[in-house]
Amino acid sequence: MNPSLNKLLGKGVPDEAQVDAFIAGSVFPLIDDTDVTFVYRGPADAVYLHCWISGLDTAQPFQTIAGTDLWVTTIDLPKGSRIEYKFELSTDGNRKLILDPLNKVLAHDPFGANSVCQGAGYQRPAWTQYDPDARPGKFENHRVESSAFNQMRDIQVYVPARFRQNRRYPLLIVHDGIDYLQFADLKIVLDNLTHQLEIPPVIAAMIQSPDRLKEYAGDDRHARFLAQDLVDFMSQHYPLIDTPEARCIMGASFGGVAALHAAWQNPNRFGSLLLQSGSFAFSDIGRHQRGPVFDPVVRFMNAFRENPGRPADRIFMSCGMYESLIYENRSLVPQLQASGIEVRFEEARDAHNWENWRDRLRIGLSWLLPGPAWMVYE
Amino acid sequence: MPRRILLGPQRPTINVDIAVARSETGSEPIGVISAGWQEAEGDTEEVQKIVGRSLVDLGLYRRAEQLFAADPELHDAYRLRQNRLKELQRLYRQRLRQLMIAARQTLRLKGEASVIDAERRHAISQLRALDRHHLNQVQKANLLFRHTFDLEHHDQFVEHVAAIREILSRCKIVMITGGNIVVLINRLKLFGVDQLLEDKDIIAWSAGAMALSDRIVLFHDKLPQGRRDPELLGEGAGILPTLIFLPEAARRLRKKDQVRAGLLSRRFSPATCVTLDSGSMLLLDGQQLTESESVRRITWDGHFRKLHPK
Repeated sequence: MNPSLNKLLGKGVPDEAQVDAFIAGSVFPLIDDTDVTFVYRGPADAVYLHCWISGLDTAQPFQTIAGTDLWVTTIDLPKGSRIEYKFELSTDGNRKLILDPLNKVLAHDPFGANSVCQGAGYQRPAWTQYDPDARPGKFENHRVESSAFNQMRDIQVYVPARFRQNRRYPLLIVHDGIDYLQFADLKIVLDNLTHQLEIPPVIAAMIQSPDRLKEYAGDDRHARFLAQDLVDFMSQHYPLIDTPEARCIMGASFGGVAALHAAWQNPNRFGSLLLQSGSFAFSDIGRHQRGPVFDPVVRFMNAFRENPGRPADRIFMSCGMYESLIYENRSLVPQLQASGIEVRFEEARDAHNWENWRDRLRIGLSWLLPGPAWMVYE
Repeated sequence: MPRRILLGPQRPTINVDIAVARSETGSEPIGVISAGWQEAEGDTEEVQKIVGRSLVDLGLYRRAEQLFAADPELHDAYRLRQNRLKELQRLYRQRLRQLMIAARQTLRLKGEASVIDAERRHAISQLRALDRHHLNQVQKANLLFRHTFDLEHHDQFVEHVAAIREILSRCKIVMITGGNIVVLINRLKLFGVDQLLEDKDIIAWSAGAMALSDRIVLFHDKLPQGRRDPELLGEGAGILPTLIFLPEAARRLRKKDQVRAGLLSRRFSPATCVTLDSGSMLLLDGQQLTESESVRRITWDGHFRKLHPK
């Protein structure tokens, strides 16, 4: 049992005032090396922990502490881990998911928010946080005419600080760009890495699909949109370096599939890819088990595995160890390497979420687009 | 005797205004070399406001770009030289890596001093020999470029040099900004400006200070892809030959690794490795150090000690 909980219960059943003092004086969840104890206080018929970690039970039950309104459950969480979770309360036959009322650390995503457990040794990287010394880039909004989709598409373009028309810039295309900005602090990260000279100043096109599960799932129209409509538009409006090495596509989850697919369909168009927790589902035999939304992904990945070609010269991949996609991601690495692609793969003790993707951006971006820190002394 | 004032980066602490105030007062413009800023060369309005003096940029980056655009043959020769230098640097880095590992291991050895000291000295002398060899190779590549392309009879080049000399003749003080040290030193040497600064008061920060030494050392222990061994880039202007400047050392160096820091100091000895963090200031009259503020020298045993004027 967690030492502070043990202390509370050491002298018998605590009264309400003692429980109040315990709650007020503790940081939740309680972390003792690799033991993490989650605590809920309140009436319920049952309480469960949901943390969407591949390998753990979907819903881990809490136990009551007799004579109190406290519920507790403990999991073993390896050092350096970071997980997102919710509590499920069951009351009078009704079940609902709630944030941990005792934990103020939250992570947001397009579906709302989750509570965050930062295991022993995890620290949010400093470069993901606002630095007043870092000169800020700015955004410009555009509508791009897409012949591939036969419609206009809105994009947001990140223009780095100290932008100059007479300089040429690399292009970074970001799938789910608005989500990356909102949930993975991409603007802060770009500002900071540029300021630290760890990446060169880049022009980044943030794209956001109106139907990502379809368009990012190996859709040829999306590949054409990226390789032709978007690159042409960006080249006309911004001073870009006109070589494949200076064009990088990034994306997470289905966005990773879209990035790989677009580069595969258009060899020699993009020099590098940053793929985070790519949904690279495939089947060796029979049907896959991931549901119909993955059908086109599996078709693409099976075709890709059959004939990978050389979609890019350099690929950075990252994936959380606690997500079910780790198997697919690990499988892809040797295959890409066998195609002569320089691959770097990073695993993290995290799951399929935006903060995992945020925390890997420095190592990925600075590897694909190395900055001038070695030669620039400002 | 010309005064040289060396500063750290001008962010977050600005002290170039103090440096100007400490220099010869006068109303004549200050010559500026901001070639290290590349495309942003000449964007000196902010500096001008801070120092309250008129500034004239020598425009070395722009002049070189104009020359290259007008004369593809010159551009090709220059690119060829740059490619040769890159390849030399790559080969040097490859050999350096092994010697650095050996030197660090030797410095970390524990045991009888009478046995180990000789090994340490030899490990460091091997590093110095490689550095000397690399410097010679870089010099040869530069000479080859000069011999291949007769710049002295190139009309446009001669015009640019005359214009640069004219600007310098009006300026008692020359300010050299930070930026890309490779670009800065290349442009300085292309137009021979490194030879024209001997009698000038100089205020230089970061890369600008590095360029004044006789050897330019690139360093960064905290790159996202891992630390790199300090590398000799080539010759500097040679105006302050006894000092190796390390701008932003607090951010770039693993100061707690005394073996690493000590090796840096011993390798480039007898020159002194000095840090130039933001807010630092070093004043020299000629070669004579007269004042030092927040500047540290690295000792042979890897400590960072205050640099005192003798």
